Amino acid sequence: MGLEQLFTSAFLITWLAASVRLAGPVLLAALGEIFDELGGILNIGIEGTILFGALTSFLISFLIGNAWLGILGAIIVGIISNLFLAWMYITVRANQVVVGIIFNLLALGLTSYTFRAVLGTQARPQKATMIETLDIPILSDLPFFGPVFFSHSIFLYITIALVFVSGFVLYRTKFGLKLRAVGEHPRAADTAGINVMKMRYIGVMISGAAASLAGAYLVLGQLGIFRDNIVSGRGFIALAIVIFGRWNPYKAALAALVFGAADALQLSLQIFAFKIPPQVLLSLPYFLTILAMSGLMGKAVQPAALLKPYNKN
Amino acid sequence: MSKASFLERRQAPKESISVTIFITALAIILALLFGSLLFLPFGVDPFNAYSTMVELGFGTLRGIGYTLIKATPLIFVGLGTIFAWRSGFFYLGFEGTILIGAAAAVWIALLTDPEGAIGPLPRLLFLLLVFLVSFVAGGIWAGIVGVMRGKFGGNEVILSLMMNFVALFLVNYLVSGPLRAPGDLPQTPRIPQATILDFIIPGTRAHSGILLALFAAIVVWFVLRKTTIGYKQIVAGLSPRAAWYGGINVGNRVILAAFIGGGLGAMAGMVEVLGVHFRLLDGLGEGTGFVGIVAALLGKLHSIGVVIASILYAGMEVGADVMQRRSGVPSSVIFVIQSLIVLFILASDILRYYRINLSKLFGNDRGKKTLEVDSST
Amino acid sequence: MVPYIELRNINKRFSDVNANDHVDLSVNMGEIHALLGENGAGKSTLMNILYGLDYKDEGEIFVQGQFSDIRTPSDAIALGIGMIHQDFMLIPPFTVTENVVVGLDEEGSSPLLDLDKAARSIKALSEQHGLDVDPHARVEHLSVGEEQRVEILKLLFRNAKLLILDEPTAVLTPQEAEGLFEVLRSLADNDHTIIFITHKLHEVMNISDRVTVMRDGKAIDTLKTESTNPRELAMKMVGREVVFHIDKNLRKSGECVLQIENLHVDDDTGYHKVQGVSLDVHSGEILGIAGVDGNGQSELAQALMNLRPIKEGNIIVNDVDVTNISSSLHRSAGMAYVPADRRKVGSVSELSVALNTILGNINHYTTAGNLIIQDLQVREHAEELVERFDVRPPNLTLDAGKLSGGNLQKVVLGREIMLEPSLLIVEQPSRGLDVGATEYVRRQLLAERDRGTAIFLISAELEEILALSDRIAIIYEGEIMGVINSDEAVVEAIGLMMGGTRFKDLPSKGDDE
Repeated sequence: MGLEQLFTSAFLITWLAASVRLAGPVLLAALGEIFDELGGILNIGIEGTILFGALTSFLISFLIGNAWLGILGAIIVGIISNLFLAWMYITVRANQVVVGIIFNLLALGLTSYTFRAVLGTQARPQKATMIETLDIPILSDLPFFGPVFFSHSIFLYITIALVFVSGFVLYRTKFGLKLRAVGEHPRAADTAGINVMKMRYIGVMISGAAASLAGAYLVLGQLGIFRDNIVSGRGFIALAIVIFGRWNPYKAALAALVFGAADALQLSLQIFAFKIPPQVLLSLPYFLTILAMSGLMGKAVQPAALLKPYNKN
Repeated sequence: MSKASFLERRQAPKESISVTIFITALAIILALLFGSLLFLPFGVDPFNAYSTMVELGFGTLRGIGYTLIKATPLIFVGLGTIFAWRSGFFYLGFEGTILIGAAAAVWIALLTDPEGAIGPLPRLLFLLLVFLVSFVAGGIWAGIVGVMRGKFGGNEVILSLMMNFVALFLVNYLVSGPLRAPGDLPQTPRIPQATILDFIIPGTRAHSGILLALFAAIVVWFVLRKTTIGYKQIVAGLSPRAAWYGGINVGNRVILAAFIGGGLGAMAGMVEVLGVHFRLLDGLGEGTGFVGIVAALLGKLHSIGVVIASILYAGMEVGADVMQRRSGVPSSVIFVIQSLIVLFILASDILRYYRINLSKLFGNDRGKKTLEVDSST
Repeated sequence: MVPYIELRNINKRFSDVNANDHVDLSVNMGEIHALLGENGAGKSTLMNILYGLDYKDEGEIFVQGQFSDIRTPSDAIALGIGMIHQDFMLIPPFTVTENVVVGLDEEGSSPLLDLDKAARSIKALSEQHGLDVDPHARVEHLSVGEEQRVEILKLLFRNAKLLILDEPTAVLTPQEAEGLFEVLRSLADNDHTIIFITHKLHEVMNISDRVTVMRDGKAIDTLKTESTNPRELAMKMVGREVVFHIDKNLRKSGECVLQIENLHVDDDTGYHKVQGVSLDVHSGEILGIAGVDGNGQSELAQALMNLRPIKEGNIIVNDVDVTNISSSLHRSAGMAYVPADRRKVGSVSELSVALNTILGNINHYTTAGNLIIQDLQVREHAEELVERFDVRPPNLTLDAGKLSGGNLQKVVLGREIMLEPSLLIVEQPSRGLDVGATEYVRRQLLAERDRGTAIFLISAELEEILALSDRIAIIYEGEIMGVINSDEAVVEAIGLMMGGTRFKDLPSKGDDE
């Protein structure tokens, strides 16, 4: 097999389908984080939240056998854990980066502990009941677009729908305007009668629910198992997607697709006997993030009040 | 008339030392309480567990040895955190620098193998060489992020986190390919006997890395406190605009912070391979890069605080490892407790805004008697 | 007649300071009521309480005779109260319409935005009150005067009947201020009530119907404006006889210390902010740069110290071309700089007072090849500064951020003066300071001038420029409109130049009036 094979439609279809598929969880987490950051909070704890969601959904689905309850459990855990984070960010006004990093360490410890506590220390990968792929009738039979766009997990369809919902909420509703005001100039928003704290709490909890759901997506929609390093930095990649996508849900979706494509490349290229060490391909998404964040691509104009705690006095 | 309730809100936070001690102690106790819940499902009595951990980590000679071993890389990462963060450079890539430093150290060590390219070297020369190469490797690794931030305004938080993964893949590649020892395991050959660090406490496996770490702590303290470099770093970290006004080039400060921070992080990797593992392998130092940061935060970003916090955390880790073998409590419990302690301490800061009214608690409204936890007005 | 607004016995403490000490205030409908006092008198605190941004410890608020418990700005807005702050509360990337509409949420209204409809209403409103503005423009592209109009529109859109303005003319030229006053008079004639916070006596006399003077948190007196005069008001404001200007010694100026030749500088966004400025300053002279904040003065001052790259032009200090030397060398070239923001630029708040006294001049206190700091020398230097400039409290280890504005300014000014510079660049030296500190700072500047230092003074307070300068240069949009001797200065002429008229185009005296 050689270079020509690279350009067959079989490869392209596999690659694109994989790109869309792999983009899903990061995009979902990124969407939630957009709300959070537009309100002025940087939630690095997404990484840990995705982990919490992954574990919760896995355990519930594995032990009870019902994947939907697993999803519900993940969302609840995501909201509660991020309630604590929101309290630390907004009421205690602790340093957001520091709290986020420690939270991730806490999540690692807690999920690792819980996994072993429930399943025993020599846990071999166990499979949980998953959400099946949904082939959309008729559309999934289309020659190119079928497998690429219409033959995916329901998680993906929900995520794509959420892209449009997010865009609508952020730019066409009063809530969206208020949220963006809070992230740009909290004092001005305050004087206009907006409850800055409440808006920020809501932003963080949306991020928590989305991130946790993304964890459930990973486990119940893609991998079917749980392991300690299941998230592997996807939360941080989601943060990069938010910035790369300029805090806009539609641009974020495109950015996520690019990262998904990089991720998918290592899956697709491995079927060829290329002499590229697998580690190079595996690190592509991370390199891409580095490029995006390096400042070489110009400075992104971020919400002006991002990372600045708001003190009424 | 204001109504006195149990918890009364102050206007401005109370900043005295005794208040700090009080709320910090409260935070630690609360964290340990929460942590103790994790022992219960295994039928382990929490109080017993904690005291055993202390005893195991600090009560026996062997335990102390292991504690010092585990503390050494934590101290290095903590010192790197101090230098970088106090310069305003929020570097989180110590996991990566540990791997890079370890890889560089192993590479040099293997080169001094009798059949290697350099061949055996006098001890001092070897130590100097491996220190330099390792430090510089880590410094350049972090320096890349430093340049991106200093010259292009890149976001070092996400950049450094991403670099951690790149380092992971790099080492994975090295131990599966170019540097792999004969056989199937993803690891390098063992380093020559002549390159191993000296044991310093008989009866334990504690190695001289701890001495290097303590020395580094003194150097970092001295540089930050007493030198112009330190002054400029700190001003750049506290107020980039005032630094600019004062003729300090913040971009250059950031790059230096990255280099030194990365170099110190690399030291953690170097001592791990030269003193503990004696080869490069997958999964080296996992978690240390972050626990070290947490220890630095616990130590309030001061050298002496970092040393104490690292030793404390290391002792707990030693205890937890033994506990896992004896009673099945997963050792990841320690990550939980370590993070809870610092999280609660951060959260406890909000208590400064409150004043405790003991009288209300005991239902005595005659004359408000407030428990003012301070030593002066 | 029941007062429109009545505040009774308002008391508010911040830790150990009584910001509002049992204050009574009553304002009648249709009245323009001035709230006069110096910085820290408690005026803003009082109005923040009325607007719900803060909550009183004691006291009552009555709106149109009804007791009102105002806890948040929403409460105040619902009662028809609106407030415009000194720093505009506008969101730069949002359009005018978005700014006006944000946060508005009537009972039962749709959660969806209808920006077009709002834009039309805003246009109508703006025409009705003579507040011309484009509803679709982004606020970040508006001029200061236009921004202020948007702020007023915000209030009117929410049916505010009481408008509170906090130091509204701080960023306006005298002509723009007059324009604002016309709008306010027209609003007052149309059943709006206005409370106007200021520390400028002439504004009080110009526009208010009644004035309440505050000092040290107390309401000292309320007077009908037409029955009082600036001197009386000043005395009540300060509590003692106020010296209106300090006697300047006759200027004994000498050689040219600073020569700026055709300077061009860009600001942070790449905008051509300083356009061909040429000026000179001599030893023993104060050159005052008059102009509304934002016309290039800051960039000019920063360029002098090479804190900002110089696009074109030259700077010569004591016959040495310093245009391209690095910023850390300027102080050794005899220059010193007191920036406008003393807390965020002129000092490091979390660092001790002692360490702040060597900022910008570290190498003077080092040894071992400029590597190690000599703690003893630093402490001696700091002790000398603290004593000479009467910094209180005289605690060297105290975090600089904990000092009051006046004391911090003494540290910053003192540090620069102790460098014994030949050129001292000072930007907004008395901004945010009370009368005592202001007087002190001004005396220090005059003393430096008498000692032979050349002083480049930038101030948005015309009164300060007039009081201190020997010569006055007016800057507008990066260009110098004219340079005049202070004894020939006429306020209207300066005002016109601040607003863009060049010296040669000024109407000559006797043309009108």
